[in-house]
This record gives sequence, structure tokens and C-alpha cells, in this order.
Amino acid sequence: MFYLSRIEHKLSLPPTRLVLPIREAIHMELEKLFLDKVIANLGLCISVYDIRSIDGGFIFAGDGAPTFTIITAKLLSSNADGLRLTLGFFDDIYVPAHHLPYPNHFVAEQVNSKKGVWFWDFNDQSYPIEDTDVIKFRVQNVSYPPIPVEQPKESKPFAPMLVTGSLDHDGLGPVSWWFAEEVENE
Amino acid sequence: MKILEANAGALTNFEVLHFLRAKGASKDPTRVIAKVAQSEYKVYDYLVNTAASAQTRENIKDFLTSVKQHDLAKAEVLNILNTRPVAEVEIFPMIENCEERFPDEEVSEIVELVKKTLPPPLIMKQEETATLKNEQGKEISQDQNENEGGEQMDTS
Repeated sequence: MFYLSRIEHKLSLPPTRLVLPIREAIHMELEKLFLDKVIANLGLCISVYDIRSIDGGFIFAGDGAPTFTIITAKLLSSNADGLRLTLGFFDDIYVPAHHLPYPNHFVAEQVNSKKGVWFWDFNDQSYPIEDTDVIKFRVQNVSYPPIPVEQPKESKPFAPMLVTGSLDHDGLGPVSWWFAEEVENE
Repeated sequence: MKILEANAGALTNFEVLHFLRAKGASKDPTRVIAKVAQSEYKVYDYLVNTAASAQTRENIKDFLTSVKQHDLAKAEVLNILNTRPVAEVEIFPMIENCEERFPDEEVSEIVELVKKTLPPPLIMKQEETATLKNEQGKEISQDQNENEGGEQMDTS
């Protein structure tokens, strides 16, 4: 989930920072510029790892490796389109309906509501995906949509980095599904 | 801004957590004084609830040495380190073509190796002990002795 990147950046230090030793001043300025920001095709910048005299090193959370990354997250919301998950420091993780374990069915909260609960139907039992669950997903894709020039007032805030996840595999989905199964088998 | 090297090396959750702890991140109230940004704290809060929270460099070294005998890709080893799978079913989604590359016994061996070298996450210890109660009692006491994680455990 995390990897290191080397970046070169030209920055100017505002006069207020010059009170500090130069390394600290640069470190603070870099943090202000990069921390918690998404860099397209690189990822979300988590920390400034190290400053070499000319180079800077940054820790990024992103799609460094091409193989399957498994991450544990919490459920943020659930609706007819699928699930939205969060890590606390990042919450643009979506599991669209077609990446949910199959067969499944969706039960809407109220008749006309889009919100509701997804159930996995397995061996004549239905297992719900609930708010309290801790959910393991596999990263299917990370994309960096281009910044829109204008957005209609009510649309969702723009997400510069979108992670698409999948639950459609043994061992994925709410952790409670798999631990509960273990206890039953004994 | 120029990207000199987009990927200069993958980091385990442990390494990121260790880095944040070294900066001063911790669970107690002194966190306001430490030079750790709000956003960095969110990452810390996430990681402290994962397997990385109880790991030490020695655990990881032990694991890496023992796992060499199995033909796993670097990314797969990374996944295992970060999630600490304790059942075969948890390993399957991490390994490409698992059935072709590894017979069931080997997957079980890998799970045993994980349980032996990597400690359970600090927070989940109580839950895991309950689930493992049905298995050998030995395993539980072994886990409870491995408290060398960088942080003090809550005495709750």
C-alpha cells in the first residue's frame, strides 16, 4: 500500500520560516505543499520521509505494485451502486456492485431510498455487509480523474484519486464472515 | 515539481508505522506536542489497528528468512506481512494462481510460519484469543508473551 518516491521541487521559503534552521524550514514547507495531497499517477502523499541536500524523499500511499494488494477498511456507506469504504486517512474507495461476491442481493432502507444493505447469498444463508464490519478488499484499480473545470453546485466534492476495490474472492469481505466460519467448523 | 523516481521502493506498513512513531506519534495525549501533522496521525491511527502495530524488525527478519523456502513474489510477501493471515482462506486472495503454484499443505505451512514469526495485532489480541480458544491452548500463551511491540499496551 505504501511506497517511497523521489521528488525534486523548487520552492521559496516565506520570510517567516527563515527563523528556523534551514532543514527544518524546508521540511515544514514541503509538508505544507505535499502532505495529504494527491499527485496524479503517484498517489496520496503521506509523509516527507527524508531530505537529502538537493533531493527530497516522500512516502506515498498508492498503487506501487501491479499485483494484488489486500487492504482492510471500514464501511462508509452502502447503496444500490455498491459500497464506499474508508481508511480514515483516505475515503475514496468504491466497491461497485459487480465486484461484490456473487450471488448477492440488495435491500433498500426505504422504498424510494438508494441507501441499503448488501447481502451475500451462500449455501442458503444470507450474510449482510454492515456498518460495524471491518472489510478486506483487493485493489482492482487506482485512477486519477482529470480535475473538472467547473462543477455543478450540488455534486460530490471532486476526488483526485479513486480506488476501485473488489470483494469477490474467498477471504475477502467482512472479516467476521471468515472468522465466524472458522469457529463453526470446529 | 519533478518526479525523479516514482517508485523508489515499497514500504511495509511496519516501516511506515515505525517512521511515524519515530517522529513522535503515539496514542496518548502528548500527541498534540509532537511534530506530527493531523493527516499523518490519521495514517498512524489506521496502522495502529493493523498487524504492523505489534511487529518488530526481528519478527519481520524471522518471517522473511523462513518464507524464502516458498516461491512467493515480493508483493505477495508484502501483503502477508501487512495483513498477517491466520487461515488458508485469507492467503488465497493474495496469491496469483494459488492452486497451481502451491499444494494445500504448502499453504498451511505458510500459515503456520506466519503464526509463528509474526505477532497478532495489539488491538485484536483479545478477539483472537477468544477465537483460538477452540484450538491448542499452547498457541494462546505464546502470543501473550510476545509483547515487544514498540508501544505500551492498554491495560484494559
